[in-house]
Amino acid sequence: MILAVLFANSVGNILVERFNGVPAEERLHWRSFLVKLGADNLKGVKNEELLVACHKSVYIVYTVLGDVSIFVVGKDEYDELALSEVIFVITSAVKDVCGKPPTERLFLDKYGRICLCLDEIVWTGLLENTEKDRIKRLIRLKPPTEF
Amino acid sequence: MADSSGTTLMDLITADPGKAPLASSSAPSAQPTALGKPVVHGEKKSKKATLMQIQNDTISAAKAALNPVRANIMPQRQKKKPVSYSQLARSIHELAAASDQKKSQRQLVNHVFPKLAVYNSVDPSLAPSLLMLNQQCEERSVLRYVYYYLARILSDSGTQGSNPGGGIPTPNWDALADIDAVGGVTRADVVPRVVQQLTSEASNADIEFHARRLQALKALTYSPSSSSEILSKLYEIVFDILDKVGDAKKRKKGVFGAKGGDKEFIIRSNLQYASMSALRRLPLDPGNPAFLHRAVQGVSFSDPVAVRHSLEILCELAAKDPYAMAMALGKLVAPGGALQDVLHLHDVLARVSLARLCHTISRARALDERPDIKSQFNAVLYQLLLDPSERVCYEAILCILGKHDNTERTEERAAGWYRLTREILKLPEAPSVTSKESTGESKDALPPKPTKEKSQKTRRPQPLIKLVMRRLESSFRSFSRPVLHAAARVVQEMGKSRAAAFALGLQDVDESVNINVYSETADSVDSDMNENPFSSAGVRRTTSVANREANKDTIASLLASLMEVVRTTVACECVYVRAMVIKALIWMQSPHESFEELGSIIASELSDPSWPATLLNDILLTLHARFKATPDMAVTLLEIARIFATKVPGKIDADVLQLLWKTCLVGAGPDGKHTALEAVTVVLDLPPPQPGSMSGLTSVDTVSASDPKSALALQRLVQAAIWFLGENANYAASEYAWESVTPPGTALMMLDADKMVAAASSRNPTLAGALTRLQRCAFSGSWEIRIVAAQALTTLAIRSGEPFRLQIYEFLHTLAQGGVQSQISEMHLSNGEDQGASGTGLGVLLSPMLKVLDEMYMAQDDLIKEIRNHDNANKEWTDEELKKLYETHERLLDLVSLFCYVPRMKYLPLGPISAKLIDIYRTRHNISASTGLSDPAVATGISELIYEATKPAPVEEPDTLDDDLVNVWAANLGDDGLWGKNAPAMNRVNEFLAGAGTDAPDVEEENITSRPSVSYDDMWAKTLLETSELDEDDGRSSGSSSPDSIGSVETSISSHFGGMNYPSLFSSKPSYGTERSGGQRFSSSSVSTPSIYEDLGSPIREEPPSYSSVMKRYDSFENPLAGPGGQSFGSQVEERTSSGNTQLGSALYDFTAGGDDELNLTAGEEVEIEYEVDGWFYVKKKRPGRDGKMAGLVPVLYVGQS
Repeated sequence: MILAVLFANSVGNILVERFNGVPAEERLHWRSFLVKLGADNLKGVKNEELLVACHKSVYIVYTVLGDVSIFVVGKDEYDELALSEVIFVITSAVKDVCGKPPTERLFLDKYGRICLCLDEIVWTGLLENTEKDRIKRLIRLKPPTEF
Repeated sequence: MADSSGTTLMDLITADPGKAPLASSSAPSAQPTALGKPVVHGEKKSKKATLMQIQNDTISAAKAALNPVRANIMPQRQKKKPVSYSQLARSIHELAAASDQKKSQRQLVNHVFPKLAVYNSVDPSLAPSLLMLNQQCEERSVLRYVYYYLARILSDSGTQGSNPGGGIPTPNWDALADIDAVGGVTRADVVPRVVQQLTSEASNADIEFHARRLQALKALTYSPSSSSEILSKLYEIVFDILDKVGDAKKRKKGVFGAKGGDKEFIIRSNLQYASMSALRRLPLDPGNPAFLHRAVQGVSFSDPVAVRHSLEILCELAAKDPYAMAMALGKLVAPGGALQDVLHLHDVLARVSLARLCHTISRARALDERPDIKSQFNAVLYQLLLDPSERVCYEAILCILGKHDNTERTEERAAGWYRLTREILKLPEAPSVTSKESTGESKDALPPKPTKEKSQKTRRPQPLIKLVMRRLESSFRSFSRPVLHAAARVVQEMGKSRAAAFALGLQDVDESVNINVYSETADSVDSDMNENPFSSAGVRRTTSVANREANKDTIASLLASLMEVVRTTVACECVYVRAMVIKALIWMQSPHESFEELGSIIASELSDPSWPATLLNDILLTLHARFKATPDMAVTLLEIARIFATKVPGKIDADVLQLLWKTCLVGAGPDGKHTALEAVTVVLDLPPPQPGSMSGLTSVDTVSASDPKSALALQRLVQAAIWFLGENANYAASEYAWESVTPPGTALMMLDADKMVAAASSRNPTLAGALTRLQRCAFSGSWEIRIVAAQALTTLAIRSGEPFRLQIYEFLHTLAQGGVQSQISEMHLSNGEDQGASGTGLGVLLSPMLKVLDEMYMAQDDLIKEIRNHDNANKEWTDEELKKLYETHERLLDLVSLFCYVPRMKYLPLGPISAKLIDIYRTRHNISASTGLSDPAVATGISELIYEATKPAPVEEPDTLDDDLVNVWAANLGDDGLWGKNAPAMNRVNEFLAGAGTDAPDVEEENITSRPSVSYDDMWAKTLLETSELDEDDGRSSGSSSPDSIGSVETSISSHFGGMNYPSLFSSKPSYGTERSGGQRFSSSSVSTPSIYEDLGSPIREEPPSYSSVMKRYDSFENPLAGPGGQSFGSQVEERTSSGNTQLGSALYDFTAGGDDELNLTAGEEVEIEYEVDGWFYVKKKRPGRDGKMAGLVPVLYVGQS
């Protein structure tokens, strides 16, 4: 289960969040925990360099892309390596939509598209589509495989 | 969410209110730098504000929608302030109406929909517009958003914030609708319409429509699974689609050649994907063969995502019914089957699921009779070890190791380690690809097959362990933190399985055997039952030969080289990786290896301040788990725990550490107990944070407790350690008062304190060590620590036999007097008065403790004298004497139980010599008691329970009870939780609940009869406060041993005890008659204060009438006790029948009978006066006198009436 996908800007404002199976009262905790984790560790990290954390049996993989930091939280089959796959798909989709590692402005301008991408990548807590092209087609309401 | 101090995500997005988003994106005038503060702060407040705003917006939106005249005003305001939800909602309504125009479509796609995505959910009143767009608009981008928002409406379960999407929190739309704020549209109104439309779209078989069909199906799966109606509809749709496209027709690629393939096939594949994805989101339907069939079909689909979903479903189903699964997958797993193709599928998670599926089936008990099937799945699993993706490879390793889910089963784990170390991987000689190419139906179009090349290189059989080790070693050279973390985790799991194997003795603990030996033997075995037609024995034989020459690997050497790499990983800058590495090291540590390296690694790691406390405690818990797996590790683990305690006392949880100590102590076995306790006492050696105050103590380790917080934590830790010592030292030392290893006679040697201490430490170094440490703490810690230390010492004193009890007693005595250690030998006696002035601040605490010990010693002293007297006089013990003894025994037990738990059945406050007598009394009373009590309430002690339970709190007699004292006691006992356990009423309740009462065992009855409804608190207060009585006792002790003891066992024991310099042990005033010594202290005390035994009876009489009927039976039964004053206890009490008319008396002088009807009397003899006749009493004796007469006449003046 992918428990959460979270985008934050460089000062810790959360831009996008998708929680799955996390009770509302725990979300606040996760938000602040992840933002703090990012603030502590993401300084000077290269784009898309993956960082890892875990708490009990919950894994967290996070990275930075342009001005945006991305956090993915998962458990069970979504361990740190599976989350790395997930975050890789997400970053490549975001880069694809934005054309480059996004500035915050760019990210916000493409907000809708990014939400649609996320919708195709993570579907009810499970990783769905992983291929860049396929995602691109799907968010334009084209079939996953073209004739 | 992303709002703070008024800045919302919407503010961010609309920071540049320019119409065209492209323009704004290029415009540098946007203010990303002027964002609010981080979300963490002040979120709640702003959240509320946002909510309010949304609510207002919504209302105005609803109004605006109804009132189109005002609609034009709003967009103008939009330029100045961020777009509000109401504006967006209104725009949708407007633009939906004009959806055929390109302009409005652009507006929707570029402005309205993206901004609407910022919100948590959308309100149901948007649904009509969305559905309208869905039906009328042709623009794909618009439609994609429409499906997105329809899914949002479906998924919204109505409670705010619980739907999966994030965003600015939105209100509960349904609640708003109820107050008619948003046009009165609730989800209940729109969901049926939405579902209906989506269902019809999802069932639309039109080829041109199929992209929308997929999205409609997807949106439908968002509807909450609680709605069975929608679910059944979904099942229907999914199965309908699968009916049409489910049969895995192979793509005719070989014929047509072009990569695109034919359209029909692609549409098929897309539908397969969509339906399988939807099926994955539907609840599992285990018993349903159709469900299973469809899921199995999915494995052969061409869409990789569909295959993954199908495998995931199968994986979950297999856990429920592996047999059916294996049958259903029968052909697919065979070489060339679809499962083999998955090996080369370019989807990591699909292969992960494959590994799990194979593992589940190959380990299924249900398939024990089908080893062929199992080995097929096993073979697939082993091949996954060669997978290029770490995720897949690690999953395979974990599966082989027996770590499948979170249930830890030792056998499974041990078998896992066995598999890993003994089994070998034999790749099929002809990979599935070649076999299929020959049939022209291969799946070459599928992404690369990295194992293909590899399989050619590594075609010879490989021991699994070697593959795994090589793989892990290379992983540890990776720069990726997730990979390092995962690799360390795998090593940890490996350690767990290894520990399990060792624990079960599965592994012959011989890891130095060349693994190729196994591979060869396994080879030879396998070749017999090998079912793989492709593997040729010839190849394997040659490789075996090659192995023999080339490889000298042993499991031990492989492990060693792996661990070398693992250790270097500690240098990783990520603490989480380091923590995982340390956990892995702990798990891989075996009890026989030196742990110095691990210790130094941990020690140097802990010096790093960046470790968060949670991680450290997590590692401590790992130690705990490690211990459980291998109890032999207790000592090593405690040493590691010690490092934690010394290096980071401020960060670790004292509870976690205590838990570790406790389990290690319990599991350490007889040999390890001492070391275990040592590890705890080391904590006490830590110098306290205040510099200078503990110059006497030396510490090996430096403590980083500089700041006040960690200083406080350190103190808590020390307190925990002291408490732990007090509670567990007896266990660790195997020294209990009730089963003392010290024979009582040996105490004779210990005439002075030094010798005593020396003897103690030679007898039981563990306990002596603990005592020394505790004594030091009681002397020189902070006040809080001293208190705990004093309590711990008391516990030890009560639970330990001699000479430890005496040692502690002396120490406490000295402490109470404020003396220093040198004074111990001088043996000052407590007068019970000056404790407050001791300067240790413990006086108020120590005096009750000392008093209990005093009482115990005095009672022992009395008992010894009695025994001696009896021996000297060659007399038997009368029942009355025994009864008295037993009552003292019980009373002391009650007192002792206030301090700490002792087993009541075994504990002998009167010393080991009392055992026999009390036993005699118990057995004897047994017989008589069984006839006496017929009332079940009395027999079972219920009346007792009620009485004590309803008794008010201790502060009942404010004039006699010192409030402070009571408070101190209440506090202390409450702290340790002892009060709850040991409160007498609780004991009774527990005993009664345990069935003791109903069976009415004799001992319980004794408890009841000997302590007839005495208020515990009264008794306690009395005994505590009767200081004058103690003084007198103290005065009496001068320690004359009795040379006149005769050779019975009991007297020899008593004489040994007599040789000891017990303070207040001997009341050796020879002036007391032989028969008076036992009760002396009671009679003397009865002069000034009412004696305890008078007290025993009194509450009964004051009882409310409701109990009196029961109690009176008691009363009469106990009458002899309640009636006479303390005096009667001073002499030997004869047996009396409770006839009521008889009067007790004792002979004042010797009297010689002058006739047949007269009776001989000895001075002091107890008699019962039946009646008086002319200056003569007719009296009865308990026992026949020398002349054999029991009753007769004696002169009135010769008998004193009591």
